[in-house]
Amino acid sequence: MAEPATGPDLVYTRVFAAPRTLVFECMTRPEHLTHFWGPAGTSAPLEHIKVDLRPGGVFETVMVSDADGSRMPTRAVFVEVTEPVRLVWVETQSGMTSTATFVELDDGRTEVEIRQTNAPEAYRAPAARAGFTTSLDRFADYLDQQGST
Amino acid sequence: MRMSTVLETQRLDATFAALADPTRRAMLARLAVHDATVNELAAPISLSLQAVSKHLKVLERAGLISRGRQAQFRPCHLEPTALLAATDWIEQQRRLWSERFDQLDGHLRELQGRGSDDG
Repeated sequence: MAEPATGPDLVYTRVFAAPRTLVFECMTRPEHLTHFWGPAGTSAPLEHIKVDLRPGGVFETVMVSDADGSRMPTRAVFVEVTEPVRLVWVETQSGMTSTATFVELDDGRTEVEIRQTNAPEAYRAPAARAGFTTSLDRFADYLDQQGST
Repeated sequence: MRMSTVLETQRLDATFAALADPTRRAMLARLAVHDATVNELAAPISLSLQAVSKHLKVLERAGLISRGRQAQFRPCHLEPTALLAATDWIEQQRRLWSERFDQLDGHLRELQGRGSDDG
């Protein structure tokens, strides 16, 4: 994958007290994802999570609001699957790319880095615009609902 | 569907596209200090007035700057609101992953039989 030419990447890092293989499993298996994928105030029901763990395979989730049941689906496709060190997926509507890197630390813990790229390019691509606007819209709506409870 | 949200997201779209260019970011940095005319903006960067005007149009469409009404000079003024909308979106993304990580941490503790509420 070529590095995107524009915009700063968004990077999120966290260290987990668990072995790398287990952390990688959690990020790639529906029965684990359902426990943490939806942010506070939402759930990510198991029956709506699809993970086809191979390049070109689908990665789909639906976040459901606890407050009113509204749904925010996200569809992505895996670009790279290198168990248990690297996972890259592209959201099909926005083109936004997320790269998860799993690093084994000396003390047995695991550092996870999520790097989001292509957001500005996604905005610029005419084909992606409509979809991204829609998903952003849902996201904004969702946040409004969270804020108004 | 709320119209305001549609307009906000379209504006955000334009904002990110405008911010994707290093020349335009340099112009915004310059305008953050104080207002400037097209001539003043063109001086430190080796660009034609025409090229600078083109960049300014993109920034103006994105709502990142406004132009004065005086026909001759039309000084450019930084409008921070659009920039705030872009940083809000980034903050939402940050919060999403922060909350996912918190929950993943709890899930991993449970999987490993440590309970979720110890330090």
